[in-house]
Amino acid sequence: MAARAMTPAARGQAVDRSVARLFEAFDHVPVAAVIRHAEDLPRALASQVPAIFFVRAPAFHLGPLVWAVQARGKMAFVHIDLIAGLGKDRAGIAFLAREIGVNGIITSHSGLVAAAKAERVIAVQRLLLYDDLALHPAMAAIEHARPDIVEVQPAVIFPLVADQIRARHPVPIIVGGFVTEPHQREAALQRGARAISTSKMSLWP
Amino acid sequence: MRTPGLSGAMLPAVRDSNSLHQALDLGYRQLLLERGSLLAMVGPLAAAARRGVAIFVNLDGVEGLAADSAALAFLATDLGFSGVLSVKPHILRDASRFRLRTIQRIHALDSTGLETGLNSMGQPAPYAIAIAPAVAIPQVMATIRGSTNVPVWGTGFITTTDQAAAVLAAGADVVSSAELELWREFRAAPIGD
Repeated sequence: MAARAMTPAARGQAVDRSVARLFEAFDHVPVAAVIRHAEDLPRALASQVPAIFFVRAPAFHLGPLVWAVQARGKMAFVHIDLIAGLGKDRAGIAFLAREIGVNGIITSHSGLVAAAKAERVIAVQRLLLYDDLALHPAMAAIEHARPDIVEVQPAVIFPLVADQIRARHPVPIIVGGFVTEPHQREAALQRGARAISTSKMSLWP
Repeated sequence: MRTPGLSGAMLPAVRDSNSLHQALDLGYRQLLLERGSLLAMVGPLAAAARRGVAIFVNLDGVEGLAADSAALAFLATDLGFSGVLSVKPHILRDASRFRLRTIQRIHALDSTGLETGLNSMGQPAPYAIAIAPAVAIPQVMATIRGSTNVPVWGTGFITTTDQAAAVLAAGADVVSSAELELWREFRAAPIGD
């Protein structure tokens, strides 16, 4: 398979190109649709969102959903920490990357970011900022793991930490978690988020 | 319970003996040991508990304690602490057997996670739930109240007066902060107001 033969440099270029393509699309429609239930997918497919985040889906039934997303010219990301049935390890990432062909992997864990980077997929590291005790390990983690994209949760924390994150690891930031109103989306974008992620359908343009 | 309960809306989050003494000097009768080594400050903590100060421990944040029955017995029986916080329902179930007040920590990071947290609440019902980060409380209070009526504490990322006031205005009974300025400001704030 091509992915296996790829050199690190080639991997980097391929992923850099897809990251660039994603953020070009986010410049027009800065929203990723979070799919919590499979029945929400048709609405997301019909929307203009350039990316769809799968959380909670059962891993071994994910293929057709991911391919439906890609058939619409959108990118499919899978949250490996949350989906059922799949090992949270290198083999789990390889399955998503090679067998299903996801565009990207979302995870909180630095080790899985490294595994995603070793495959030909975009690595999104989610920072779970529930208190400032969580903040310092999270900052160290992104500096160490160097994901392609950082996702900050919950959105209300983003203004408090935006500058610190950028200083540590200047990559595009997506903001999610309780973004349910247009003014919350605007607030995140104004503070420099490149996109928001939300399961709230009324925010899928 | 023979141990003291809450006495106000501000719960000072202490992390070392310095901040412990600052909170006590301000007249606080309640404290949250949020992190740091409990064992390194066990003397002053025990002394405060003996004087009737309500002490709550975040078991997910402090160092030096195992999350087992021996540790819970030590907090309840030897130290006379009032309660414990944890994200783990089984630890709280153990804690309730030692007559500690149990506060279920729930991370409010997104609606998926909040739902999981609210559904994870075990039996017996906790004394309260602690939502982290507290600054999310104005956005999630309606969801919480759709699922439980227990008192709500807010912990995490509270550094300004406006944030603390917004959390209380949204219906939280208690807000916790590590900021000395806020301890001064909210010293007289009554619980659940």
